[in-house]
Amino acid sequence: MEKQEVSKLKIKTLHFGEIEIENDKIFHFPDGLLGFENFNNYVLINHEETAPLRWLISIDDPTIGFPLINPWMVDIKYNPGKSINLETEAAFVVITLGNKERVMTANMKAPLVLGVETREGRQIVMSSDKYSTKQPVIHTSSEEV
Amino acid sequence: MLVLSRKVGEVVTIGNSIEITVISYDRGVVRLGINAPKSIAVHRKEIYDKIAETNKESSNVEFDMLKDLLKNTAISSLGSDKNKLEHLAIHNTKKD
Repeated sequence: MEKQEVSKLKIKTLHFGEIEIENDKIFHFPDGLLGFENFNNYVLINHEETAPLRWLISIDDPTIGFPLINPWMVDIKYNPGKSINLETEAAFVVITLGNKERVMTANMKAPLVLGVETREGRQIVMSSDKYSTKQPVIHTSSEEV
Repeated sequence: MLVLSRKVGEVVTIGNSIEITVISYDRGVVRLGINAPKSIAVHRKEIYDKIAETNKESSNVEFDMLKDLLKNTAISSLGSDKNKLEHLAIHNTKKD
């Protein structure tokens, strides 16, 4: 059986050192992310130390990376409507840190949508006012108040 | 900047594929109808700016502080199944 050769790429990241990526793992964002329109190619990686967060690392400038989280881990009832097709796409939201309070926040208003087969990504903006750009990521279980 | 006067119901075209219609004008509020190809993102400017700013903050996140916070935040994985293709999107990479 012939094994298809996948070309690889090495990038030097800010937090994770040098990593190797297979070319077919790259996501192309035709419009970039908002404010990052000229950065169009990314890879989504997992890093043990910061699990369950993921990192979207720019291939064009690997010192640029965005910590992301699965939005349903922030809000189990998250409902992006028809803008995301979960049969073919995965969704993530961008994490930031609060300035005053030491709390992680997630941008639930503008999720990133990644086409798993198409390898295309986009950041969408939901028209609903229901979701905040800085939704606190907190765990509300019985052992916490 | 090009400045045009339009009445309610009149249209401005941009290129071959974008049309902006003035729908109504009432007490200082203009309602616009925009027809544009799906590939062209249309945003309210202030929302665009807010999201761009949030993206910038995210890209400058303090890594050590984030790691610290993660240690002290129990994130529930209950809803994670809804994003059923999440694992397919991730590239598990080996550090050299």
